[in-house]
Amino acid sequence: MKNKRKETRLEKLLEMPKEIVSNEPRITISGFNEMLIENYKNILEYEEFYIKLNTFIGVININGYNLNLEKVSQDDIMVTGKIDSIDFENIIEE
Amino acid sequence: MLFKILISYIIGYVQISVEGYFIERFMNICISKKILLWNIKREKSTYLYANVGIKNFKKLKEIARVTKCKINIKEKKGLPFFLNKHKKRKIFLILLIAFFISLFALSNFVWNIEITGTENIPKEEIEKLLEENGLTIGSLKNKIDTSKIINSIRLNRDDIAWVGIKITGTNADVKIVEADLKPEIIDENDYCNIVSNKEAMIVKITAKNGTPVVKENDIVKNGSILIAGYIEGKYTGTRYVHSEGEILAKVWYSKKDKMELQQQEYNKTGNMESKYSIRIKNFVINLYKTLPNFQNYDTIVEEKKLKIFSNFYLPIEIVKNTYYETQPQSVEYSKEEAQEKLIKQLEEELEKEIEDPSKIINKQVNKYENENNIEIELIYEVLEKIGVDEKIVF
Repeated sequence: MKNKRKETRLEKLLEMPKEIVSNEPRITISGFNEMLIENYKNILEYEEFYIKLNTFIGVININGYNLNLEKVSQDDIMVTGKIDSIDFENIIEE
Repeated sequence: MLFKILISYIIGYVQISVEGYFIERFMNICISKKILLWNIKREKSTYLYANVGIKNFKKLKEIARVTKCKINIKEKKGLPFFLNKHKKRKIFLILLIAFFISLFALSNFVWNIEITGTENIPKEEIEKLLEENGLTIGSLKNKIDTSKIINSIRLNRDDIAWVGIKITGTNADVKIVEADLKPEIIDENDYCNIVSNKEAMIVKITAKNGTPVVKENDIVKNGSILIAGYIEGKYTGTRYVHSEGEILAKVWYSKKDKMELQQQEYNKTGNMESKYSIRIKNFVINLYKTLPNFQNYDTIVEEKKLKIFSNFYLPIEIVKNTYYETQPQSVEYSKEEAQEKLIKQLEEELEKEIEDPSKIINKQVNKYENENNIEIELIYEVLEKIGVDEKIVF
């Protein structure tokens, strides 16, 4: 953990974008019908009403209906459809 | 990402359905192998619909075997599949290609010449000039050398001050600025006479230089000398000069017209018929067969050039003939009415000719009456300055 903190200081100095340097996911929601998740690991579950994504710091659960995966590539995923709720499960202990 | 999807539209893609229990695993393997999937839709618990590029489809089969899924192709989409589907429609394709080729070929010609800015010069003359220099309707665009045409027109005609030719699309825009004809300027050191330019009666003649040849109340013809360019001295003999002077004269303008007392007037009844025909250069296709049913009619012809874009004119014209039915009506004028009407008409015509209507001194009306018609001559007497310089040629 100490090692990581040193890194962040350097990064702050260089003003590097967070999502490039770290493995933390970046979640962008535009409107109620579109959601972009960058820096994810893999898909754990995919149903019409429920999506479970694994990331490096935890799990993202998305509830809704008619959920489609518009584009899927190695580091980002676009979810469209009626999104009801999002919740997170943290793995890393603090 | 979007770009990749766009490319796959051109290369071709397939819509697949995946059936199995380990669909998430299937997807994860696809992602890790960098296979692009888009528009993924889940149905029930065992079905998945997705789009995949044509090249990646073969790789999918192996993944499906590993994850124990079934893959079915639902639809083939994209350009190659589209072309394959319409392979049998060869004539359609040939016509499509022919259409584009003809469009490109036609755009290399000039199909419309627009001449603007002419007032006194008839457009036909300019068209003729352009034709001589190789700019006609139907000539190749890249063979037209505009600067050469402009030069030759300027050399040919003195009454054109400026010519501009702009070719946009299939339209040649010819702009012309007319030059005012300049009177021949005679150098002050040259000897000259002053010559009458109108038929007139001299009222006043003052010579600053030279010898007046005519007296007051003399009637002069067009071209006769008014002030001669020489001075005769007792001792010096004849000496030629550049004559100067002012000549005031009465000039007569007259106009004659005849009018029948009994006339037939044609009034529009309001009925009309329009008929169309198509003209391609000099070849006319009539879209009608019969002439209008009216006994008497006026014809108004309108021509319209077809164009595709704002300046892509086609060599096709649509001609619209509109026929208005007229009815003859005999009208009888009394002599006074006819006279009034004629005088009014003549006055208008004459006043156009006279430069300065305020200098009119006298009006005279000559009337010749007959049983059936009336003839009127209107004469205006105008006080004007006359005289033009003319060089003395020895």
